This record gives sequence, structure tokens and C-alpha cells, in this order.
Amino acid sequence: MGWAALERPSDPLAVAGVEPADTLATRARLSRLGRPAGIVLLLLLLAFLSLYPMVMLLYGSLHSTPPGISGEFNLDGYAGLLTAQNLQILGNTVGISLVKTILSMVLAILLAWIVARTDTPARGTLEVLITLPFFLPPILTATAWAMLGNAQVGTINLVWRWLAGTDSTLIDVYSYGGVIWHMMQYSTPFIFLFVVDAFRAMDPSLEESSRMSGATRWQTFRRVTLALMLPVTTSAFILSFIRGMEGFESAVFFGTPVNINVITTQIYNLITQQAQPDYQTATSLGFAAMMLMFLLLVLQSRLLRKRSFTTVTGKGYSPNVIRLGWMRWLTFSVCIAFFVATVALPIGQLLLSSFFQFFGFYQLDMLTLDHYRSIWTNDEFWTALGNTMLLGVAGATATMALGGIVAYVTTRTTWFGRRLIDLLAWLPWMMPGMVLGIGFLWGFAILPHAVPIYGTLWALLLAYVALGTPVAVRMTSSAYQQIARDLEECSRVHGAGWWQTFGRVLVALAWPAFAVGWVLVFFGIMRELSASILLYAPGTQVLSVVMLKMWAGGKPEDVSVIGLLMLVLVLVFRWLQLRFIKTRISTL
Amino acid sequence: MTPISRKTFLALAAGFAAARTAAAQDDPEWQKVVDGAKKEGKLTIYTATLGSRYHKAVFQAFEKKYGISVEPLEARASEVRERVRIEQAAGRFVGDIHHNGATTTWLMLRDGNFQPHGPIPNLKNIETTYEVDDTRVPCEVISYCLLVNRNQVKPADEPKSWQDLLDPKWAGKILSDDMRALGGGAVFFVVMYDKFGKTFHEKLAAQKPVFSRDIANSERRTARGEYPLYIPFSLQDLSQLKSLPVKAIVPTEGRPYILFQLSMLKNAPHPNAARLFMNFYLEPEQQLVFANAGYNPTIKGVVEKVPEDLRPLLATKAMGTTTPEKQDAMLALAKDIYK
Repeated sequence: MGWAALERPSDPLAVAGVEPADTLATRARLSRLGRPAGIVLLLLLLAFLSLYPMVMLLYGSLHSTPPGISGEFNLDGYAGLLTAQNLQILGNTVGISLVKTILSMVLAILLAWIVARTDTPARGTLEVLITLPFFLPPILTATAWAMLGNAQVGTINLVWRWLAGTDSTLIDVYSYGGVIWHMMQYSTPFIFLFVVDAFRAMDPSLEESSRMSGATRWQTFRRVTLALMLPVTTSAFILSFIRGMEGFESAVFFGTPVNINVITTQIYNLITQQAQPDYQTATSLGFAAMMLMFLLLVLQSRLLRKRSFTTVTGKGYSPNVIRLGWMRWLTFSVCIAFFVATVALPIGQLLLSSFFQFFGFYQLDMLTLDHYRSIWTNDEFWTALGNTMLLGVAGATATMALGGIVAYVTTRTTWFGRRLIDLLAWLPWMMPGMVLGIGFLWGFAILPHAVPIYGTLWALLLAYVALGTPVAVRMTSSAYQQIARDLEECSRVHGAGWWQTFGRVLVALAWPAFAVGWVLVFFGIMRELSASILLYAPGTQVLSVVMLKMWAGGKPEDVSVIGLLMLVLVLVFRWLQLRFIKTRISTL
Repeated sequence: MTPISRKTFLALAAGFAAARTAAAQDDPEWQKVVDGAKKEGKLTIYTATLGSRYHKAVFQAFEKKYGISVEPLEARASEVRERVRIEQAAGRFVGDIHHNGATTTWLMLRDGNFQPHGPIPNLKNIETTYEVDDTRVPCEVISYCLLVNRNQVKPADEPKSWQDLLDPKWAGKILSDDMRALGGGAVFFVVMYDKFGKTFHEKLAAQKPVFSRDIANSERRTARGEYPLYIPFSLQDLSQLKSLPVKAIVPTEGRPYILFQLSMLKNAPHPNAARLFMNFYLEPEQQLVFANAGYNPTIKGVVEKVPEDLRPLLATKAMGTTTPEKQDAMLALAKDIYK
């Protein structure tokens, strides 16, 4: 159903004769033109945001030299990938990402179910606490875990040796397990954020019917609850798996010292760790990874094709929770255990360290507030914070608007070109960030000088919108898929236009997903570094660049202060967001 | 040096510096550069030093002295190079000065990213160790040594020579910057290879050093006692680790180093400001800022002025550095030896 609905004889406006026939005819003509024009506009915008940098990268992968240097076209970049070492790296990457995604998925679904569908105490607070690690800079949590879990003098191992009276080592973060564990701290809350609102928005009468028909609680959870969550869980799984394939910090921090290499560390080596950067092989490797991820998308599309996952209908429902009795304290303990392991331990370590002169040296004579003073008086930090907030708010809003429209076109219409639109919106997510950053740099630099993008905040904003769109699309399309079409049709039958229906029905019902998507994109922008470091100019630097500078300049303690400030910001945002969602849900 | 003689010495040095500046200012040709720079009013520096407070201090001193605003663009070496390359290919000439390690600078010189800087009065003070040409200005040096944890390594056990690292007692106890990637680790690999040959590395590899690429964190890991030894340690980080239980040691053979250079970018929009800045950077006052932080200065007569605890470390022999021509071959060899 689209704008063409205005042409229908049964259109109540026409039937009621509210507007003259010639006005209606003009509007109908405009509508006929409007849809293709809108699609073309959308295609052009997405092509500029995602296809254009990809084309630059494709050139880089097929040319012996990067743009601007004479060379020749060849396939050396791709031919060079077929080595035993690269196959091992590919195996490592897929294996690590798969294991961490499966573990995170199980954990996130359990936590989301506890928070959204049970009467576990303090669920609102738990929901905020569970998601905290996602918003912290990975380099900070990696540092915290390096202090907590190193084999020699890690706090956990020291406590273990003291308690057990042994010299053995309980955990060693410099291992496959360490890489996976650190990645899970980001993927679990990420998946949790994806699925929790879908759980909340689900009509519990479906589960009740299942129970009344004789199914056990487990059978109901598996065959009804999980089955209905399939679009959102597969989306989250794939997004998380792809992010795992592109994960860098965990691998370089905990994997490189013990020779665990993944695709991104290999790309990093090719671009930054040799005298002559090898952009051809790096971009070829990026495209090879992208093809692998594309196959996953095809798989997801086949899995969900022609199946209905509608849980929000026009028939009315009242969200309620499952009463667990004494078991609610068990579920509460699960959430608290997760919070302690992923939040309290690393963040406690960071908080404590921020009051001492050096990380990990807790001597009274080293107590100081210097790191807080240093940030307070740092002009560069405040400029970067201002730029980042501006880009974050504008970028997240623009991204969610674009994502909402793209998701509508791809999930609610049968318009020509919608598959291409979906693909274009996905592209940036499938290319490792540090390669895509180069694509943006090349693409924006060679634009005509009259186009004021390169070297301005626009370059960063456009890159952020491109990078955030896949999340926005997945978030909103999963929510749209849960909304019955009869609600839209009802709105149109009662005379609402396309935009009115889109805004007042779809967006209104999918509002929790929009709110979560906005927060995800906003903090994605706050953390983004790969493109930022290549696109910022004097005066347009952002927080992630300033943090990198501080880190490289030997001030990790100052970086932890910024990380903690970001955490406060997250708490405020999440509190506002949950209050907002609560208001919306209660009005449904 | 007694306090009085030190004061006198510093006064004399300041007097010489002032006299030199005055002489330069008397030169009408140079005065044209100064006037032109002030007229340009702005300078954009592309630098591969990320977050260095010492460089920031020098930029601010230049702004204060000449009223010319400095806009630094900081990124990692390869990122700086790629930005310059694509900007110039696209006809965007934004940066005035490029500040980077000698290897990257050499590659960019080969690619035609620079223009000759023209006469610079203070170039005559450059130490003979460092080569000067019409494009590259040696500006400061990162020197590498050993970092030991004082709680874990008794003075008698401290390595005196780089070859002491091969002692079996250090097996599994050495944390190292990754020698298979650009940076201090790679420089250490090349210099040790040139000095002691391949066998040194084969024996060191048998000691099972643990590689890391996060320099600041590695230094702290050593201070916390995760490892008693860290190689190679950038001497300029020492001032940031004061009050931690660590000690920097320059072995008897000397210190590997990376030379940093300033170059004027092709079609620099503010060429006079760029020249003036290069000259300013080589003033004893600015070089002393770097030397006090643990960088080796590139001009004569500065090491003598640094505090006594740091002076012996800087006054050691410059052992060698890497060269761009053999860098990638050496990285491949390092990957082969340190699997």
C-alpha cells in the first residue's frame, strides 16, 4: 500500500467529496510522480553515502596504486589473498565471531526476557545497568580487563591465589577466551537493546493461548516467543556477527600478543604497519569479507521470506508480565551477576584509577583529582565535545529518519527498487570500518572544490549517517514487521495521508525502536574513530580523536575520566529514553 | 655544575640565542620572511605525533611570539601521509608543514609531496649526525632504551648490554613493542640486526618475548610488575612515569632512534610562516623543551642544559636507525623469526 491509494474509488475523501475532483486529480498525478521521484531521491542519497565510497574502494582493490597515482588495473590484490595464512586468519575471524555471537545471543535473550516479560524486581534499573558496557570506549574496558585478568598480577588471579592458596592462574585475558569475552561485553548489550523492546511489544495472549493449549513454559518460550522474535533476533544476530568479523580492539589488545590474528588486524597491518601501505590488498580483503557477510544477509532474507511475525495488531492487547514467584530472585541474581562481571568490575577499576596518578597504583600518596582538572581545563576536549554532541544529535536524528524511511520501503511496500535500496543501506555495515574510512577520505577529497564537504563537519556528518543507517534500518524494520498492516489500512481508510499514517501509526507504534536506534547511533557516533581520524580537520575534531591523542600521549587516566563522563551521559539518555518509552507504551 | 655556574651558563646561552635572533632579524632577506609570515597569519601542520604536550607547547610559543595561529592536524604516520597524498592529488593544498618520522618523510619526498624550504638560518646549528638537505629539516629524535621494573630487577641484575637480554633468566619475562610492525619495535629489530646479526634475533625469539602494540599500556604493565623488562622504551615517556617503580637503561652499545623531520608541503598556502616555524623549531629554547622531555635535540649545545638525571641518557651514542629502502624486507624477516 502506498501513495497510489489516493486513486482508489473507495477513497473516503473522494467518496465524501471533500475536495473538488480536479484537485484530487492533480494530487493523484503528483502522487504518481512523487513515488518514483522519492525512490530516485532515496537511491541517489544512499548511493552517495554508501556506494560512492565503495566504488572508490573497489578502484583501490583493482588498481596497483591508490587514486591519484599512476598505475595499472590488475587482480593482484585478490590473488594475494589466497594464502594459507589468510585462510587461517579467516577461520580465526569467523570462529571468534560465531562463538561470541552465539554466547551473546543466548545471554541477551535471557536477559531481555527477564527484563521485559517477568516480574523480576528492579527491572527498570537492571535494564539500564545491563546496557552500560556497550557505550564505553573498548580501549578503556580492555585496559580495565588487562589489569583484572592478566595471568601474572591481574587482580582476579591475585585474589584467586590468595583464596585458594595456590600459584595457579584462574584466567588469562590474553587468549581466545579473552578476545571473545571482551567482544561479548559489547555484543550482549547490543543484542539486548535490539530484542528487549520486541519482547515488550509482543502480545502476551499468543503465549497464553499456547499455555492453554497444553504447552509447557519452555515449549511456549521456544515455539511462540522465540519464533515470533525471529526477525529481530536474526537481524541482531547478523549485525552482531558482522560486527564481530569487523571487531578490532579486542583482537589487537588481547589477541596480537599471543599471535591470534583476525581480518581487521591483518588490514591494520597492511595499511598502517608497513613502510609502504598496501591499500590494494587491504581493500581486496575488505571486499572478500564483505562478500562473506553478503551471503549471510541472503540467508537471513531466505529464512524470513513469506513469514508473518506480526505481534502488534489492531485488536488490542495489554502487555503483561509472567509472575515467577520465588524464581524472580533467581532471575534477579542472573542480571546482577552479569552486571557485576561486565560493568561493576571494569568500570569500578576505571573509576578507582581515575582518582590515582596512575592506572593500577593505589597508593595514598598518589591520590589526585588532577585527571578531572586536566579534562575540565582542556579546551581541545570542550571543542571536541561540542562538535561531537552537534554531530551526534544531528547525525542520529538524520540517520533514524533515513533508516525509518528505508525500512518502510523495504518492509511495507512492494515498490520497484526496494531491494536495491535495502542493499545500499546495508553496504557500509559490511565493510570493515578502517577500510571504509579510506573510502570516505578518497571520495570526499576528489569532489569538486565547490562542494563544501571535505575538511568540514559535513564530511563527518555524512560518514556517520552512512555508518549508522544499517543499524537504524534493522532496528526499525524489525519493529515494522511486528505491526499489522490493518492498522495502516485503517488509518488510510479514515482519510489519513501517507505521511500522516507513517508518522502517527507506524512511527508511533515503533517509537521504542526509534528511541533505542537513536541512542545506538548517537553513541556509535561518539565512539567512531576509523573515519573520524581521516576526515577531521583543524577545528572539527571530535571526541574519539581527542581520546586517541590522549591515549597515545600517555594519558590513559584522562581518557578514563572521559569514559566515565560518557557513562553519566548514557545513564541520563537511557533514563530519559525509558521514561519516554514507558509513556508511549502506556498510551498504546 | 654548581648552581651559580649553571645560572651563568644559562644566561650566556640566552644571550647567545638573543644575539643569534637579532642577527637573523638584521638580515633583510630573513626579515622579509618574518613579515610575510605575519601577513599570512596562519600555519597548518600535519603531524604524526599524537597528543604530545611538548609539541603543543612549542606551537603555543610560536603563536605567542609571532601572532601567527598554528593549526595542527594530528594523526598516525600512515594516515597523515595518505591525507597529504589524496589532498594533493585532488588539488587541495591545505597543509603547510609535514612533521613525521624519517621513513615516511623519505617516501613522501620520493612521491613529490614536498617543496624546497629555502634558506633557514638555524640549520647551521644541526648536529653532524643528522643529514640536512633543501627539503628535510631534522627536528627531534626519539631514542629507545630498556625499561626495567625496579622492584623486580636488582641493580646487579640490570642488563648492561643489549646482548644481556639473551640471558636465560629473562626467558618469558620480556615485554616488547611488536617488531613485526612499524614503530619502535621495528627500529629495534633493524638496529640489532645490523649490529649483532640474525643470530641475535633467533636467540631473542627463543626467549619468548611477548609482543604488544599499545606503548603507553606496555609501560604501565611493566611498572605494575606484569613483566620486569620492556623493550624498546621511548625515552621521552620517562618524564610521564616519574614516581613509578621503573628505570630507563641505555645499554653500552647505545640507543636505536627515529629521526623526526619537518618538510614544507607542496604548494603550501603559508610558505613564509612555514619557514619561520622551521627556524623557530630549531631555536635552543624550543629544542630544550624536547630535550627536557627526553627527546634528543638535533642542534648542538642543548643536551648539556638538560637536568642531570636525564643528561647521561641523552648523551649516549646514537646506535642507528632504520632506512626506508629495507624496512619492508626487515618486517618480513621479523615475521619469519618471531612467529
